[in-house]
Amino acid sequence: MILKTLLPLSVATLMVAAPTLAFAAQWSFTDSTGQTVTLDEVPSRIIASQDAAAGLIPLGIRPVGIYADSPVSEAKALQGLDLTGIEIIGQAWGEVDIEKAAALQPDVIIAEYWPVSKEWSGGNDLTGAESPLRSLAPITGVTVGESIIEIIEGYEGLAAGLGADLSEPNIAAEKARFETARDGFIAANKAKPNLTALAVWAGNDGLYVATPVGSSELTDFKTWGLNVITPDNVDEHGYFENLSWENADKYQTDLILVDNRAEATMKTALAQPTWTTLKAAAAGAVTDWPAYWLRNYGAYASELEKLTTAINAADENLTE
Amino acid sequence: MATTAPRSGKQREAALALGLLGLAVLVVAIAFFSITQGARPITLETVWAALTAFDPQSTDHRIIWDLRLPRTIVGLLVGAALGLAGAVLQGATRNPLADPSILGIHAGAALFIVLGVAVLGITQLSMYVWLAFIGAAVAMLVVYSIASLGREGATPIKLALAGAAMTAALQSVVSAILLTSPRTLDEVRFWQVGSLAGRGMEIVIQVAPFLAVGIVLALVTGRMLDGLSMGEDVARSLGQNVGRSRAIAGLAAVILAGASTAAAGPIAFVGLTVPHVARAITGPNYRWILPYSMLMAPILLLGADVIGRVISPPGEVQVGIVTAFVGAPFFIALVRRRKLASL
Amino acid sequence: MASIDATTKVQTIRRNLASRRYTVTASLVALLVLTFALALYLGDYHVEPAGVVRSLLSPFTGDVNKGVDFIVLNVRLPRATLAVLTGISFGLSGIIFQMLLRNPLASPDIIGISHGASASAVFCIIVLGMSGIVVSFGAFMGAILTAVLIYALAWRDGVTPYRVVLIGIGMSAIMAAIMSFLFTRARLFEVQQAMAWLVGSLNAARVADIAPLAIALVVLVPVTVALVRGLDALQLGDDTATALGARVEFTRLGLIVAGVAYAAFATAAVGPVTFVAFVAGPIARSLLAGSGKGFVQAGLVGALVMLGSDLVAQHALPSVQLPVGVVTGVFGALFLLWLLIASNRAGRVN
Repeated sequence: MILKTLLPLSVATLMVAAPTLAFAAQWSFTDSTGQTVTLDEVPSRIIASQDAAAGLIPLGIRPVGIYADSPVSEAKALQGLDLTGIEIIGQAWGEVDIEKAAALQPDVIIAEYWPVSKEWSGGNDLTGAESPLRSLAPITGVTVGESIIEIIEGYEGLAAGLGADLSEPNIAAEKARFETARDGFIAANKAKPNLTALAVWAGNDGLYVATPVGSSELTDFKTWGLNVITPDNVDEHGYFENLSWENADKYQTDLILVDNRAEATMKTALAQPTWTTLKAAAAGAVTDWPAYWLRNYGAYASELEKLTTAINAADENLTE
Repeated sequence: MATTAPRSGKQREAALALGLLGLAVLVVAIAFFSITQGARPITLETVWAALTAFDPQSTDHRIIWDLRLPRTIVGLLVGAALGLAGAVLQGATRNPLADPSILGIHAGAALFIVLGVAVLGITQLSMYVWLAFIGAAVAMLVVYSIASLGREGATPIKLALAGAAMTAALQSVVSAILLTSPRTLDEVRFWQVGSLAGRGMEIVIQVAPFLAVGIVLALVTGRMLDGLSMGEDVARSLGQNVGRSRAIAGLAAVILAGASTAAAGPIAFVGLTVPHVARAITGPNYRWILPYSMLMAPILLLGADVIGRVISPPGEVQVGIVTAFVGAPFFIALVRRRKLASL
Repeated sequence: MASIDATTKVQTIRRNLASRRYTVTASLVALLVLTFALALYLGDYHVEPAGVVRSLLSPFTGDVNKGVDFIVLNVRLPRATLAVLTGISFGLSGIIFQMLLRNPLASPDIIGISHGASASAVFCIIVLGMSGIVVSFGAFMGAILTAVLIYALAWRDGVTPYRVVLIGIGMSAIMAAIMSFLFTRARLFEVQQAMAWLVGSLNAARVADIAPLAIALVVLVPVTVALVRGLDALQLGDDTATALGARVEFTRLGLIVAGVAYAAFATAAVGPVTFVAFVAGPIARSLLAGSGKGFVQAGLVGALVMLGSDLVAQHALPSVQLPVGVVTGVFGALFLLWLLIASNRAGRVN
C-alpha cells in the first residue's frame, strides 16, 4: 500500500523536477517509455489530444490545436472548457486533418500514452512511428496510469515545464475545491462502512460490470474507502464482465454507478425490465460514474461532490 | 388447379399438408425451449409457476414474463415475417437472391435509425420501431419506383441493381454519420447485429398489427406468385393483372420486412435461405412455399436465438450472428448440391 | 464490285472504332493528369502552383522549403499516387470479375472478397489489437483466403458464374456476421478504428502502402494483358470455348487469380472502398460504345473515380474530411440510378 502511493508520488516529483533541471533555454520532457523530447526552447505552439487538452487548459496552457475522438460537443473530457481560438483538427478516432495541423506549425504534440495497448492517443495510424503527425513535431505526454491523481500530477509537471504558474489563484482554488470534495468523499465512506457499489455500462445486449482494476477513477474511489465490487469473470479486454439481462442481479450492491460518457447509457438501463432486479436500481440509489475521462481537478471535484451526495443518500444496509 | 396426374397430385398435397402440421409441432417445441432456456437457469417448475401463478416479487417470474415471453413472441412473429417476406420477394421479382437486404430494405431502416439517433437523439428501442419501419418502406418504394421506370416495368435485373445501388448509397451516408458520432455508433452497433434481446411487450404490441396484416396479405399472394413464376407473358395470357399482383406482393413484403427489421434489426439470412429450403421440399408452388416458409423461418430464428442464449454464459450471442452461421453454410451447401429451382 | 464495297465499309467501321478507342483513352489520361495536378494543388495549407512545381523538383534542384515540401511531397503526392494506383487496381479487378462472371453485379465488393478482407482486418484490429501495415497484411490474406474458399466451394465439375455469385453472397453474410459480432465485443474506440478502416480512406496514405501496390501492378498488368487476349474465346460462351479445352480453363483461373490479387492489394492499402470496382467497367464500356473490351479504360476510369472522389471528400465540406469511401458510395449509387433511368428511356435494359 505504501509502495503503491509512494511510487506515483516519486514519479510525479521526477516529472516536476525534470524540466526545471534542464538548461534554461532548452526544454525537454521524458515520457514513461523512456523517450525524451528535447527542444531548443520552450514550445509555445502545442497540438494536444482531447484528453491532454482537458489536462492542460485548466492549468493555463492553451494549445493551438486539438484533435478529438468525437465531435467536440460530445467529448466529455472537454466539457466546460473554453476552447475559443483553438483550431479543432480532428473529430473522429484516428483522424486528423494533416494540412490544418501543418498550417498550425506545431512545436510539439502532446498526447497520452496508454500502456495497455502501447500506443498514444489516436492510435498507431495517427501517432505511431511513421505517422504524418509525428513527422510534423515530436509527440510526448503523460501516461494513463492507475490513478487519476497520478495523471493530473503528470499534467501539473508538464504544464509547469511549459511555463504555467500553478500558484495562480484560480488554479489553486480548483485544487483546494478538489481536496475538499475528496475529503468529503472519504468522510462519507467512513460513515457508511457497509456500503457497496457497482460500476456499470448498460447496453441493449446486456449489463457490463466494470472492474476497478482497469479504471483509474474507480481505483481512486477504492483508495478513498468506497467498496467498489470487482466482478468475477472479466472478459479478455480486462475492463468489464458482460452479464445477460437475465442475470443482471448477479451482483447486488447498495449503490450503482452508471457510466456517464453518454446519456443514452442510463436510458438504456431504465428501459430494461430486469434493471430493477438490482435492489439499488429499484431503490433509486443510482448515480454517475465519470468513466475514463477525468483529467483535471475541477471536473474531478464536481463528480466527487455528486458521488458524495449519492453515498450520503444511500442505504448501506440495502443488501448484505 | 388443373393437374395432369390428379391422383399423385392429391397424395402429394396430403403429404405436404402433413409436413405443414409437423412444422407447426416443431414451432411449438421451439417456443417451449425459448421460454424454458436462457442465460439464467430456471427450473421447469418455476416456469410453470410463473405462467400460472405470477409472483411479482420473484426475479425468476419477472424474467419469464418480462424477457422470455415477449422475446419468444417477437421471435415467432419476426421469423414468420422474414420467411414470408423472402418468399414473396423472390416470387414477385423472380430473383433467387431477392431478400430484404439485397433490395435495400435493411439499409433504409438502418439509415432512418441512425438519423433518428444522431439527429433527433432518440435512444429508446420502441422509437427505433417507427424509424425502421418508415425507412424500410421508403427504401423499398424508391427502389421499386426506379426499377419500374420505362416500358417493361420492374424486371428482376433492374430491381436487384436498383436495390444494390440504394444499399450502397444509404450505407455511405450511414457510415459518414457513424464515423463522426461515436455516440450514435455506440447506440447502433447493437441494433445492427440483429437481436431479439431487450424486446419487451410494448414492441410486440407495436409491430403485431403490421405483421398480422402483412402475413395475411402475403398468404393470399400464393396464386399470383405462381402465375408470375410462369413468366409475365404466360401470366397475362391466363388473365392475370401482372402489375397489380406485383404491387400487392410488394406491399406485403414492405410491411413484413419493415416491421420485422424494426423489431429485431437487420437479420439477413432467414429471408434468403428459408424460401429456398421450402421450395426444395414443396416444389415450385407458392401456395405451399409460403406457409412452409412462414413456419420454417421461426424455427430457424428461435432455434438460433436459444443457441445464442446458452452458448456463452453468462453473456449472449446475438441471434443475427447465429442465423448467419447456421444459415449461410446451409445456403452454400444448397447451392452446391443442386441447381436451385429456377424461379 | 459489291464485295469490295463491303470490305471498304468494314475497314471504315474498324478505323472509326479504333479512333474512338484512342480518343477515349487519350481523354481519360488527360483528365487523370489534370485531376492529379489539382490534387497536388488543393488543400487547407495554401501553396501556389509555382510552389507545387518547385517542391516536386526540389529533390533534384535542392531548393528546399521544409513546410511546403512536407505538404506537397509527404502528404499530397503519396495520397494522390495511392488514389491512382488503388483506383487502377479496383477498376481492373471489377472488370475482370464482371467479364468472367458475365454479370454486372459481380464485382469483388459484391461477391464476398472485400468482405473477407474486411472481416480479417477487423479481426486484426479488435482481437489482435493491431494497427497500420499489419492490418493491411491481414486484409490481404483475408481477401485471398476468402477467394480460395469461394472458388473451392463453388467447384463442382468446374465453376459456374452462378455458383460463384451465390456462394460469394453466402460468404459475405458470414463475414458480415463475424464483423458484427466483433463489434459488439469490442471497446468503442476499437470499433471506431475498425469503422474508419471499413469505409476506406486515403487519410493515412503512407509510402509503405504504395510500394507493394506499385510492385504488384508492375507484375500483374502485363500478365493480365496477356491473359485477356484469351478472354475473347471465353466471352463467346462456355460451350464454344470448351473446344479449346484446358487452355481456356487455365486462362480463366489465371484471370481470377489476377482479379483477386488486384482487389486484395488495393483493399489492403486503403480499405474496401465501395463501388470503384463496380462502376469502372460499365463506365469504360459505355464510353467506348462497342469499340473495345474496355480493359485499359476501366483501369483509367477507376483511377479517375478514386482520385476525383478523394478530392470531393477532402474539400466538399469546409469543416469535415470525409473518408473517400463515403463519396465513392454515393457516386456509384448515383451512377447506377442514372444508368437505370437512361436505359429506361432508351428501353434497352431487359
